[in-house]
Amino acid sequence: MGSREQILGKLRAARKPFEDVPPITERKHMVKLADLSPETLRARFIDEAEKLSCYVCEAKSDQEALDYILAVLEDRKQVMSWDAKHIPIEGYQDALDKNEILVSGYNDPMVYVGVTGVDAALAATGSLVLCAGAGKHRATSLLPDIHIAVVKSDQLLPDLEAWIAQEKQTGTPAFKITSNTTIVSGPSKTADIGQELIKGAHGPRQVHIILL
Amino acid sequence: MKVDSNNFISLAEIAIDNPNLQEAITKGTNNAFDKRQLAMFADGRAHGEAMRQQAAEAKRRALRQLPELLEKAENMMTENGFIVKWAVDGNEANQMVLDIIREHGVQTVTKSKSMLTEEIGLNPVLEASDVRVVETDLGEYIIQLNNEPPSHIIAPVLHRTKAEIRDIFVRELNMTPTDDAGEMVAFARDKLRSDFVNSDMGISGGNFIIAETGSLALVMNEGNGRMCMSLPKVHVALVGIEKVIESLDDYATLTQVLPRSGTGQNMTVYTNIINGPSRPDEDGGPEIVYIILVDNGRSDIYATDYAEALACIRCGACQNACPVYRSTGGHAYGWVYGGPIGAVITPLLVGLDEASPLPYASSLCGSCKQVCPVDIDLPRMLLDLRHDLVEKGNGGRVWQLGMNAWAFGNVSPMRFELGGRVARLGQKVVGNNLPGVLGKWTKYRDFPDFAPKSFRQMWREREKGSDHNG
Repeated sequence: MGSREQILGKLRAARKPFEDVPPITERKHMVKLADLSPETLRARFIDEAEKLSCYVCEAKSDQEALDYILAVLEDRKQVMSWDAKHIPIEGYQDALDKNEILVSGYNDPMVYVGVTGVDAALAATGSLVLCAGAGKHRATSLLPDIHIAVVKSDQLLPDLEAWIAQEKQTGTPAFKITSNTTIVSGPSKTADIGQELIKGAHGPRQVHIILL
Repeated sequence: MKVDSNNFISLAEIAIDNPNLQEAITKGTNNAFDKRQLAMFADGRAHGEAMRQQAAEAKRRALRQLPELLEKAENMMTENGFIVKWAVDGNEANQMVLDIIREHGVQTVTKSKSMLTEEIGLNPVLEASDVRVVETDLGEYIIQLNNEPPSHIIAPVLHRTKAEIRDIFVRELNMTPTDDAGEMVAFARDKLRSDFVNSDMGISGGNFIIAETGSLALVMNEGNGRMCMSLPKVHVALVGIEKVIESLDDYATLTQVLPRSGTGQNMTVYTNIINGPSRPDEDGGPEIVYIILVDNGRSDIYATDYAEALACIRCGACQNACPVYRSTGGHAYGWVYGGPIGAVITPLLVGLDEASPLPYASSLCGSCKQVCPVDIDLPRMLLDLRHDLVEKGNGGRVWQLGMNAWAFGNVSPMRFELGGRVARLGQKVVGNNLPGVLGKWTKYRDFPDFAPKSFRQMWREREKGSDHNG
C-alpha cells in the first residue's frame, strides 16, 4: 500500500471530529468598514499605507507621476520594471528613453529601483496585490532596494474579502492563471534582532505608492 | 532532533538562571502579547472574538472533512501544475527531498522558515549528503550559525539578546562589531544575497493549502521566502496534512487572524499565494514545484480526542501568553515546539513516555485558550494528558498513596471533618512547609493558611445562635 492510501485510509477509518460544531451562518470581514464611498476608501488606503511606512504620492497627472519616479531614481540610469503596458502612466516608456534609463534584467541584484503596477489595492490594510504574468516579473517588487507601485484609483477595493469576492466572480485568476500572487503590505521588515523593527530585511527597504 | 523533554525541570532551571535569556524572552513575549491585543481587538473586543470563532469554525470544518479535502486539494494542485507527494513520516519525507535534490543535481538549497522541517530533522539529513543548506529567515540564519534549535514558533531567536547576536555574527562571520541592529540586518542581507542568486532549489513550509483552488499560501515579513520560491529553478514545499482548508473565504479569515495573533500585524508584509510552477508566458519563477504532504503522526492524533490540536495555525500567541513559557523560553521543552501547544503536541508526536513532564508545564491559567485564534482548548488537553499519564501508571507511588488517602478521607462527612481538624493542627505544628517528600510541593509554593474555623463548624455555631434567638 502506498503512503497516500495509508494516510487517507487512516483518516477515513477515524471517527469524524467536530461533527457538533455548528456551521457558520454569517461571515464577517476582519476589518469593519462603515463607509465604502471612493473618497473614504482612498483616505483609508493612504492612511494605512503610511502607517506601514510607505511613501504615498497622490499624482494629479501622468507628468507628476513620471516626475516622482525620476526623482526617486535620482541620476541612476537603470531600473527594473514591469513592461510599460502594465504601468498605467501615459508616456512611461518615452520618459525612460528620453532620460536614457535602461530597463535591466530581472536577475540583476544590484538594481536600486523597481517599478510595478498592481492588480488591486486594499484600503483596509494599505495592501498591494501583485500577480506574476507575462511582462510582470515577480523579482521587480522583491530584489531592488526601492519598490515603486503605480495604483489607479479604480483598482482600490475595500479589503481582502472584497478582493476574494471579485476573484470568485472572475474565475479566480490570481489562484489559477498566474503561478504567484503576492499581497504586499509595506516594506520588508524584521524584528529578529532584539525586537528592534528594521526595514529592508531581504526585500525592498522602501515602498513608494503613486496613486493616480 | 533528539527529544530531551523528560529533562524539562532541569532545562527550565538552567533557563531561569540565564539572565540574557530572561531579558530577551520577557521583552519578546511582552511585545508580541501587547501588539496581539491591539490588532485582534482593533474593531472592538466583541468583533475580535467573533473573528476568532469564525477562524475556529473554518479549521474545524476543514478537519472534519480532512480526507476529502486532501484529495480535492491534490486534484486541484495537480491541475495547477504542482507535483504532489505523500509522506507517512519524517524519514520518508526527508528521503523524497534527497531524491529530488539528486534528480535535479542540486548543490545549494536556500530555505525559508519551516517548523515541520525542524520536526522531521531535514537539515542534518541533507547536510550528511553534502548538500549545502542555508536558512534564510534572519532568526533561523542566526540559530543555524550558532548551531541551536528555534525557541519560538514564529520568532526562532527570541531567546537571544542583541548583544549575543552581535557576538555570533562576529565569531562566525567576522562581522565588524556593531551594536546597531540595522547594520547587523544589512550585513546578513548582503551575505545572503549571493546565496539566493546562486541557489538551485528553495525549500519552504506552508501555512495553508486552499482545496478550492489548489493553492499553497504562506505568510512572511522579510521577503526571504519569496526569494526561495521565486529565484531557484526548483521549489519544494513540505506541508503537514492538517494545513488544508476548504475555501477562499476561509483563507481570507485565517490569513488575517494569523498575523494579528502572531505579531500584531494586520497583514504580514508578504502574503503569498503559490499556484504551481511558472507559466509558459511568465518570466522567472520556478520551473518545477513539489508539494510533500507530511503525516508524521498527525493521522494518529486525528483519531483521538486530541484532534483539536491539529487546528493550530502556528501563530505563537499561546507561547507569548503562557506564564511558564515566559519564564523558561522554548528550549526547556526539549524538542521543536515549546509553550502550551508544544506541551500538548510533543507528547502526542514523540510519545507520552518521552515527554511526561510537559503536560504539567502549565498552571492551567487558561491564557493560552483565551488568545488562541482558533480557540483550541489547550488546558482541557493538558488535563487529559495528565489523566492519560496516571492511567499508564506514571503517577508514582507517593502520588497514588496521596490520592488514595484523599479518596478515603472524603467519602464520609465524619472523616472529612476529622481530616480538617488534623490538617489544622498539623499546620500549627509544622508551619507552611510540608515535611518529607511532600516538601517538594511547598519548595516553590506557599501552602495557604487554613481558615481558623471550617464552614461546617461555623454553620453549626450559626444554627445554635438562631436557636437561642428563636
